[in-house]
Amino acid sequence: MAPNEFRMRVAYRKTGRVRFLSHLEVMRALERSVRRSGLPYAVTHGFSPRMKLAFGPALPVGTAALREHFDVWTTRYVPAAEAMRALADATPPELAPHAVAYVAHREPSLGAAVTLAEYDVYMEGKGVTEEAVQRALDTVIGSGRLDVEHKGKQKVFDLSRSLPKEVRVRPTGSGVTATVTTRMGQEGSLRPDMLCTVALSRARCDGAVVRVTRTDTLIEEEEGPRRPL
Amino acid sequence: MPAESPDVAWERLEGVLARVERPARYIDSEWGAIRGRDGAYRAALAYPDTYEIGQANQALAILYQRLNAEEGFAAERVYVPWVDMAAEMRKERIPLFSLESLAPIAGFDLLGITLPYELTYTNVLELLDLCEVPLRAAERTDDHPLVVGGGPCAYNPEPMAPFFDALLIGEGEEAVLDIVRTHREAREEGRERAEVLERLATIPGVYVPSLYDVVSDGAPMNARPPAPDTVVKRAVTDLGEYRPPVCGVVPYMDVVHDRVAIEVLRGCTRGCRFCQAGMVYRPVRERVADDIVREVMEGLACTGYDEVSLTSLSTTDHSQLEEVVRRLTSRLESTGVSVSLPSLRVDAFSVGMARLLAAGGKLPGLTLAPEAGTQRLRDVINKNVTEDDLIDAVSRAFAAGWRRVKLYFMIGLPTETDADIVGIGELVRGVLSAAREAAGPDRGSVRVAVSVSTFVPKAHTPFQWLGQAPLDEILRRQQVLRDAVPRKGVDLSWHDADVSLLEAAMARGGREVASAIEAAWRSGARFDAWTERFDLTLWREAFASAGLDASSIAEREFGEEDVLPWAHISCGVSPDYLWREYERAVSATPTPDCSFDRCTGCEVCRALGIDLVVGGERRGAQ
Repeated sequence: MAPNEFRMRVAYRKTGRVRFLSHLEVMRALERSVRRSGLPYAVTHGFSPRMKLAFGPALPVGTAALREHFDVWTTRYVPAAEAMRALADATPPELAPHAVAYVAHREPSLGAAVTLAEYDVYMEGKGVTEEAVQRALDTVIGSGRLDVEHKGKQKVFDLSRSLPKEVRVRPTGSGVTATVTTRMGQEGSLRPDMLCTVALSRARCDGAVVRVTRTDTLIEEEEGPRRPL
Repeated sequence: MPAESPDVAWERLEGVLARVERPARYIDSEWGAIRGRDGAYRAALAYPDTYEIGQANQALAILYQRLNAEEGFAAERVYVPWVDMAAEMRKERIPLFSLESLAPIAGFDLLGITLPYELTYTNVLELLDLCEVPLRAAERTDDHPLVVGGGPCAYNPEPMAPFFDALLIGEGEEAVLDIVRTHREAREEGRERAEVLERLATIPGVYVPSLYDVVSDGAPMNARPPAPDTVVKRAVTDLGEYRPPVCGVVPYMDVVHDRVAIEVLRGCTRGCRFCQAGMVYRPVRERVADDIVREVMEGLACTGYDEVSLTSLSTTDHSQLEEVVRRLTSRLESTGVSVSLPSLRVDAFSVGMARLLAAGGKLPGLTLAPEAGTQRLRDVINKNVTEDDLIDAVSRAFAAGWRRVKLYFMIGLPTETDADIVGIGELVRGVLSAAREAAGPDRGSVRVAVSVSTFVPKAHTPFQWLGQAPLDEILRRQQVLRDAVPRKGVDLSWHDADVSLLEAAMARGGREVASAIEAAWRSGARFDAWTERFDLTLWREAFASAGLDASSIAEREFGEEDVLPWAHISCGVSPDYLWREYERAVSATPTPDCSFDRCTGCEVCRALGIDLVVGGERRGAQ
């Protein structure tokens, strides 16, 4: 780490139509926002110099988010409020930043540090009631494991590890919303929409997951979970 | 068409997007997109392929900027949904919509469709059908948008003529405003569609197919007044009067040409006899260095891109390129931003410029186009480069650090013999050897990529009278090529000859070909330019159902006195000049470039009333 560099952490959202972007597309879009903002970003000293930028855990295509993060290294100290304004002016509103602060160089990377994620999973359809979905989720979770197939690959999740908190269902709009907290790890991350889809099928509901929003990402520490910013 | 608010339209679309590949194609919301313009007159600008292929198209970016800068007009974008999305839209009864306002295209005043390549023709029909607009202009009413075409393929508009109300031949900077203003004015006066079309036909450069009757095969078209007998292309006098769209749309998804593109000059008078672009974009008009540097810096600042391309048909011909490159490398030092040249001449100067641009960073790809394997054939096609030029350029490049070069060649060129194809192999061997020698101890990592396409004789070129070599013969020559090109250190690839056959049939055909295109679309042909989607058998059947044979059209030869299917369209270059160039080709006589030598008599300047615009002294032939 160059001694004259500053590590700036930015919290941003991914809402509206841009929820259909892939993680790679979001990363590229925000890298361009940083360039447009005029912030004095640092570049890597390699054969092909790149902006020094690091993102938190990936979000799947279709999943919205309220509190995601990236770190960008700058070559000069810019007051956080000023940086926030510059970034906001240079970013599409659907990916707007909502907090900026400096963090210590020694902090672990966002990718390694963030291990908990909270989601709201909105479901709709015939037979999709708070009771039916809660019961079905409780049954699936009670079984202790979930076998899912994703892109042709079989995965097995240990639900006692993947789901550190109780899953709660509440009525919203014309459907229900389940609040799911998952633990991410090297063995992969449980997709909450998959959990809910399995539950809907167990409940024999003619319903479907309509929208998934990651509402928070957290770092687990001895004193309890905390936000990266 | 029921008018929905964007929010309601989005709700309908949301569920569909969850089920299709690459939904980012359909979501708009990009930085630089222009929304919420309160234009009384709305134009939808379409590229007949997917978003990622069409988004960076510079012509549409210019029209988007021009229309959105004009009081009372608004332009939005539309692309062809991929097959999965099109199926979902038909199932859910969602008509094709514009990106910015999610509004059905059928409700727009004008639908502009660029024609970049013959193999996108079925996509034009797919686009119209998804818009719920009748395919044929004759079936449209006052309630439908005016469907206007343009772009490179408009220079032989006939195969697509029945599907368009009008086509613009040439450059759109000025003409686009003439078209929309005339359309709006005529409609405000309560004119019917037929009267609107007559009025449009009086705008220079605008071709209204319904006013031209096919009398018989081989006879001139019968133009009904006020339509002119010959439509002469539009061209702008001075590129410097039109600021390029520097702050364009910045896409989210990975698209082709995903970078800032600044057009540094238009036109090329090198005079390669196979090259349609070299004939139809004449004369040369350069932007001045100050403008280029300013536009590059502005474009980078407002888009956030880390790459800029100085585009044109032949950027290294720009008289002030060295100055531009020097100024840009100095201003962009330590920013991680790279500058690229899309096309390099086969000469040391070009390699030097590319090296300077790379300054300390990653070397860009090096692509050179000798086009033919022997000097005789290069003289036939007027590609004025020698084997020595090529070897010298490669030696300098590999000494400067490059380890890979891509070479473009064509087979099936007029007068070609097997000796010319064997000559490609020999030239490649020479390049490989020079590259290895220049690379020294690193010689093991040298790669030469050889890409070979099949020649398609295009309208408005000196080879327009000639037919394409038959498919069997092309396949035989490809075998000769495979046997001739060395294997070690070389990656050889060639274009699918089936695709080139269809390209020729559509590039050289007349209005009768429209029925074959429609039949192919009805049989499911879409995205024919995508290798995995192309099916020549389907196309042969479609031509047969229209009473035509694709090979006969592709291979058809014309005499000097014959009326060509595109004879009523003029790019300004005189047919006499093209014929003289054809005769010089047969005798392997080169013709110089008028931008650094004397006038060669193509007559484009006289026909268009414009002149060469060159900022400084151009570098002559090597």
